[in-house]
Amino acid sequence: MAVNNKSAETLKLAKVLDLNEASNLHGTLISLRGKDVAIDASGVERVGVQCVQVLLAAANAWERDSKSLVIDKVSDAFRKTMQLIGINIDHLLAKEIRQ
Amino acid sequence: MDMNEIKEIFFQECEEQLAELESGLLKLNDGDRDPETVNAVFRAVHSIKGGAGAFGLDDLVSFAHVFETTLDCVRSNKLEPSQDVLKVMLKSADVLADLVTAARDGGGVDEGRSRGLVKELEALARGELPSGGASDAPKPQAKPAPAPAAVAPTAAPAPTDDSGFQPIPFTFDEFGDEEATIAPSSFEVIFKPRRELYSKGNEAALLLRDLSRVGEMSINCDIDSLPLFEKMDPEAAYFSWTINVKTTKSEQDIRSVFEFAEWDCDLDVRLAESTDEDLPMIPVPFDLDFLNDDSAEDESAVENHSSEQAAAVAAAETASNVSKLAAAAARVEKKESQSAAAAAAAAASANAANAAAGAGQTIRVDLDRVDRLINLVGELVINQAMLSQSVIENDTTGTSSINMGLEELQQLTREIQDSVMAIRAQPVKPVFQRMSRIVREVADMVGKSIRLITEGENTEVDKTVIDKLAEPLTHMIRNAVDHGIETPEKREAAGKNPEGTVKLTAKHRSGRILIELQDDGAGINRERVRQKAIDNDLIPADANLTDEEIDNLIFMPGFSTADKISDISGRGVGMDVVKRSIQALGGRISISSRPGQGSTFTMSLPLTLAVLDGMVVTVAGQTLVVPLTAIVETLQPEAASIHSFGANQRLISIRNSFCPLVDVGRILNFRSMQANPVEGVALLVESEGGGQRALMVDAIQGQRQVVIKSLEANYTHVPGIAAATILGDGRVALILDVDAVVAASRGQSLRGDGALKSDMSLAATG
Repeated sequence: MAVNNKSAETLKLAKVLDLNEASNLHGTLISLRGKDVAIDASGVERVGVQCVQVLLAAANAWERDSKSLVIDKVSDAFRKTMQLIGINIDHLLAKEIRQ
Repeated sequence: MDMNEIKEIFFQECEEQLAELESGLLKLNDGDRDPETVNAVFRAVHSIKGGAGAFGLDDLVSFAHVFETTLDCVRSNKLEPSQDVLKVMLKSADVLADLVTAARDGGGVDEGRSRGLVKELEALARGELPSGGASDAPKPQAKPAPAPAAVAPTAAPAPTDDSGFQPIPFTFDEFGDEEATIAPSSFEVIFKPRRELYSKGNEAALLLRDLSRVGEMSINCDIDSLPLFEKMDPEAAYFSWTINVKTTKSEQDIRSVFEFAEWDCDLDVRLAESTDEDLPMIPVPFDLDFLNDDSAEDESAVENHSSEQAAAVAAAETASNVSKLAAAAARVEKKESQSAAAAAAAAASANAANAAAGAGQTIRVDLDRVDRLINLVGELVINQAMLSQSVIENDTTGTSSINMGLEELQQLTREIQDSVMAIRAQPVKPVFQRMSRIVREVADMVGKSIRLITEGENTEVDKTVIDKLAEPLTHMIRNAVDHGIETPEKREAAGKNPEGTVKLTAKHRSGRILIELQDDGAGINRERVRQKAIDNDLIPADANLTDEEIDNLIFMPGFSTADKISDISGRGVGMDVVKRSIQALGGRISISSRPGQGSTFTMSLPLTLAVLDGMVVTVAGQTLVVPLTAIVETLQPEAASIHSFGANQRLISIRNSFCPLVDVGRILNFRSMQANPVEGVALLVESEGGGQRALMVDAIQGQRQVVIKSLEANYTHVPGIAAATILGDGRVALILDVDAVVAASRGQSLRGDGALKSDMSLAATG
């Protein structure tokens, strides 16, 4: 996936990505549609499945649009929760933070 | 919504759950072995426990927990729900109800009783029979010690909360679970959350975290059902998981992780036969302590809890959710059609959708609001009547369009009135259910074995009637159990089933509700009743009474046949009090008894206390309303049938029997001279004592449904008058208190000084 961090919009995710946040996140991402987006998940302390659903659906949409959506910073909690719930986000992670 | 309101809702829900619990247990007692019944019972206790945990009601939680554990054994077919087992469970349901009441209203419960039951329940859970050695059961581990942690303000629906009660894992170990083996076994868990799981504040990630603690876990998340980004519902559930858990623990331990969520997800746990599934599993090996952000969790849990409660109240919201839910369910259905389990799962989702739709159809409304509405509709009815009357009076040309409009208005108002009354109508079920507890307790106390059969619990009647029905019914049930049914020995000697039967039925009959209480006991001992009545100076020793009249003696004040005064009944305040309360409700009670076969009490009650069918009559220029229920017949007296009796008493002969003639105008002091009976109409009424009286009025205006207005609330109590109403012409009419008038005619004065205030007649002219 081509990454052009310079022109990408940065979306900093909220600390708590729970049920209430899912709709917000969905709305925010809709407003960013068509733009390259860099997601900053460094401040995330808690991740709920519904926000992950939104993020993955967005990733699919961005891919169809041939736009880039990368997660360029992740917190430990974010990364581990993804692993816990069995979601592979490696392909979304910016190269420099891949493990 | 503040905490107290939420708590109030919790207690309201508890009432419903308790009712559900009891009816479920009774069904089981009758031999119902439908797993859904067991589930419903389990769910009821479970919900009470969950809510109680949220409010830190530790006593309630710990008792509910033990109860639930035992119920779970029934649910998993480890415990056969025999009569003995159910006896313990029904008692436990009673204690649970007491605990709920104590938690709500303060006050204590019978600790000894609840402790004893806890032991019995635990014994049952271990597979011991109720009678065998329940008392010396070892101190239970299953009882969740009210550890300080349990006091933490945590919301129960958050299942994963460490600070809440998490007693299950060690509870089930006790049962010697077959599946609990030392060698680690591999389980396959298929977990499909439904939308409700999230909307109730549960979080799949946290459930998975807890699951990962059970053993070594690898996971595959199925994201195929994720819809297009623009079409997705951010709050729906799209992901599902297949999880492999390698653990030394049992299937139960795995299931208990999902304990609070199991109604909101499809869960399948089974021993993995082979791992031939080529799903790419991600191992979950690491330490997950980072997720234990308890403070944040608690906060959001409480928040979610309140939003859940709010959702319960907001019917509109629920309704909108239902459609989304149905859509989600449809998606699930499509997705799963490949697998064998699909059909069941889809049916479950459909059921959930149905259940949600059903739940969306009720709202809780403050009773005051309904009453205000009913009051306003009453005013509307009166106003409408006044309007049509004045139109008729002023517009003699009879413009048909106005008349037609008025007629439609009349129909509409009547319909509105009926619908509003229907809001207050409630099934008699809760009262009937309370009775089953009374039967159990009293039967226990007197050492009899009695079964209560109820019929027509869904018969609806005004809430006020229901509320006031409980007390007389309790009295009668106690009497039936204590006096009506014989001891098992006597029953056997008489060739009857040693277990007595009390049958409580409710049905609608011509605009009234008929409640029957039937026992299959010995029936009324007429000899003894008669002797007792003579001893108590209630009747003369040589009175010649029919069987029916003797039976009705038990309704006389100060009558009791119980040889010794017991705690249960027999203080001589029994049946006359019952009769008075029933009459205060505008009802009638009668008894029929057959020696050796039992007695039947029949109560007939009005469906509502807000309107009344009455006969509008004229007495000395005043308009009065006589309740139709009291009137047996009306007749035009003939001079030949009037007989003088004593100084100023008169009798009327009706079909060869004499009946005292009561001049209503004279009793109420509307006139000082006695009216001429031949010019008036006689209303034959049945009164308290069961005797008949002929009430004399000047003329009958007609029969009408009237809206009852309390005189006490608006003016003050007037002897001889039950209430008032407003007629179509805007005039106030008084509703006659037939019993008081009849009593006055017997020489008892309406009031101490015998005279009525003259302003009463002023009130009548309005």
